Amino acid sequence: MFCTTVPKRVLAVLVAGLLMPVAAPAADDELGKKIEALTRELEQLKSQVRANEAKTAQAREAKTAESKSLGRWLSIGGDYRFRVDRLRGETKPFTDVNATFQNVQQKLQADFFANPSTAAGSSTYFGAPAAGSMSTAGALSALMQFSQAMGGVRTAEEARAFVSAPANQGLIQGIGAFGVAVPAYKPENKSLYTNRLGLDLHAKATQDVSFTGRLLMYKTFGAQDDKAVVNDGSAPFFADRVGVFDGTLGHVPSSSDLAVDRAYATWSNIAERDMWFSVGRRPSTGGASSHVKQNAARPGTGGVPSLLVDYAFDGATLGYAPDIDALPGAYGKICYGRGFESGFRYTPGNSLADTDMIGVSLVPIDTDRLRVWLQWNRGMNIFDAPTMNATYFGNTQPRANLGDIDWYGAGVLSTLKNVGRGDLNLFADFGLSQTHPNENVSSQFGFQGLLTGAFFQPEAPRDKTGWAIALGMRYDLPSRTKLGLEYNHGSKNWITFAPAADDMWTAKQGTRGNVYEAYVIKELDSAPVSSPFAKAFFRFGFQYYDFQYTGSNNWVGAPVKISEVNGQMMTLTPLRKAYDLYATFEVKF
Amino acid sequence: MKATLHAALLTAALAAAAFALPAIAEDVTIVGPIVQIDLAADGKSATAVLKDNKNGGLVYIYIADDITLDKFKDKRIQPGDEIRTRFEKGEKNLSKSFKKTAGC
Repeated sequence: MFCTTVPKRVLAVLVAGLLMPVAAPAADDELGKKIEALTRELEQLKSQVRANEAKTAQAREAKTAESKSLGRWLSIGGDYRFRVDRLRGETKPFTDVNATFQNVQQKLQADFFANPSTAAGSSTYFGAPAAGSMSTAGALSALMQFSQAMGGVRTAEEARAFVSAPANQGLIQGIGAFGVAVPAYKPENKSLYTNRLGLDLHAKATQDVSFTGRLLMYKTFGAQDDKAVVNDGSAPFFADRVGVFDGTLGHVPSSSDLAVDRAYATWSNIAERDMWFSVGRRPSTGGASSHVKQNAARPGTGGVPSLLVDYAFDGATLGYAPDIDALPGAYGKICYGRGFESGFRYTPGNSLADTDMIGVSLVPIDTDRLRVWLQWNRGMNIFDAPTMNATYFGNTQPRANLGDIDWYGAGVLSTLKNVGRGDLNLFADFGLSQTHPNENVSSQFGFQGLLTGAFFQPEAPRDKTGWAIALGMRYDLPSRTKLGLEYNHGSKNWITFAPAADDMWTAKQGTRGNVYEAYVIKELDSAPVSSPFAKAFFRFGFQYYDFQYTGSNNWVGAPVKISEVNGQMMTLTPLRKAYDLYATFEVKF
Repeated sequence: MKATLHAALLTAALAAAAFALPAIAEDVTIVGPIVQIDLAADGKSATAVLKDNKNGGLVYIYIADDITLDKFKDKRIQPGDEIRTRFEKGEKNLSKSFKKTAGC
């Protein structure tokens, strides 16, 4: 068996060896094809890997680029407005205090230079024995001493003593003889053109910290100052339009200076709650419900009711928005603002305290259909005049802290959709002010206090309460036409803190009397490009002020019934009626 | 033997009780920017994708309330806005509250 098997195997090997050279070329071809196919597959795989690597790199680059892109953390926007106003008013006759003092000074100086004398009785005006038999030098000197002594009066009691002192009584009566009586007149500006530019910036610095800024310019055509709205050359009409100051920069027409209207940092999501802290120059202007007329978005959790505050405050806010199913959008916040920084105290030259304001805001519900707000503010150490330059009264600055003011407000805003052909916006706002004067009076304003007294007629300090309402509606039609009506009323002792309000004559929220306003907004049918909120529109409106008491927007001095104004000494021109026909072209980008 | 029987009965009772009770969905709150909003064609619902600030994960939220839908429609809420949302965690992640994080 072994012998037969072995030869067979040997034979097979030999045969195979003989055949090998013949079969080898065919196998080589097949192998080569396989290798070729494998090589192609390998190349394909390699190119796929390369493509994937390229895609990964691209994605990484894109992610890096995205993380660095401006759009991720920075948004820029703004608004531009051209406005034309036709203003007309009707004043009441009064005696201009500032002009009177200038008149007396000029007359006595002229008298002295014409006859420089120390001889008793030589004064043309105060030479009579009943007037003190003064010389020309003596009369001038007495006036200067009177002015200096007047500046030293601090309290109502001191003021009463001052005006009742026989020497001063004689001078006050004498000054009365120099009174510059201003008869009733009808001021008019047929065309006041203004440009307003706002640039907004919002930067998300870290996950929960952001910065918001707004630069604002409000320029009068053909001028680089505020003369067009302050009744230049004559006594101004209203305290909030005597000149531009810290809280109204960029809100009252003046120059082409770009002022920092807002600059604040906000820390959100504190303690993983919907709680925030924000500090800086605040968004305390243009609050609800003034945004309705402005065709602007709702202020959200920012801002304060415009009936109580419209003033660019530097301050801070701590807010919390609880998540309550029954009260969507509810939030509350505590606000603080500094209205005047008095510098070092307890020094020989400064007895003024800082003017501060605190406020508590509660919004129990904030939806499109219903927004309700409740507000309490307290202004502390209210100043008598803000720091302003080159006004009718010269350079002004606070010289007295007159006391405190409490404000209470409650309002409601609603947007009702599909009412007839369009949407109806409605608002109603109520405000209450209560003054708490201290003993101080303003010597630069003739011993008037916080809603107390008249020029040279000091009044004992006492609390006074005023109230105001603001009602309005705007009907938005599908044609992008919006029709609006607003009504404001303020009582005799109503005082607000809204000098930055967007009104030419005076803040209508602070009017002691009635204000009626009607307007039409026509938005252009133009697709937004720069942002979803971009739009352009025209606004045509008319305001009618019917003043019932003097001193709208002025907390210095007691209001006087307009119908009883007839030649009294006053620092501001009393206005009976005012009209403003206006048109704007506005672009929000 | 008796103890084992008691344990078995107790386990069965607890299991039965667990099945008998309705499933209580858990409310979850997250904060993060919107990555995407898909509004349904009929405008009655939407799905928003949020990137959770805590872990970077994407979370799908189903929104059916008019207050939020109106804000989507007129772009008051749009991709990129940071949102605080409370939702019922489940298959749909139904939103109960969906608002921009408060501030300023």
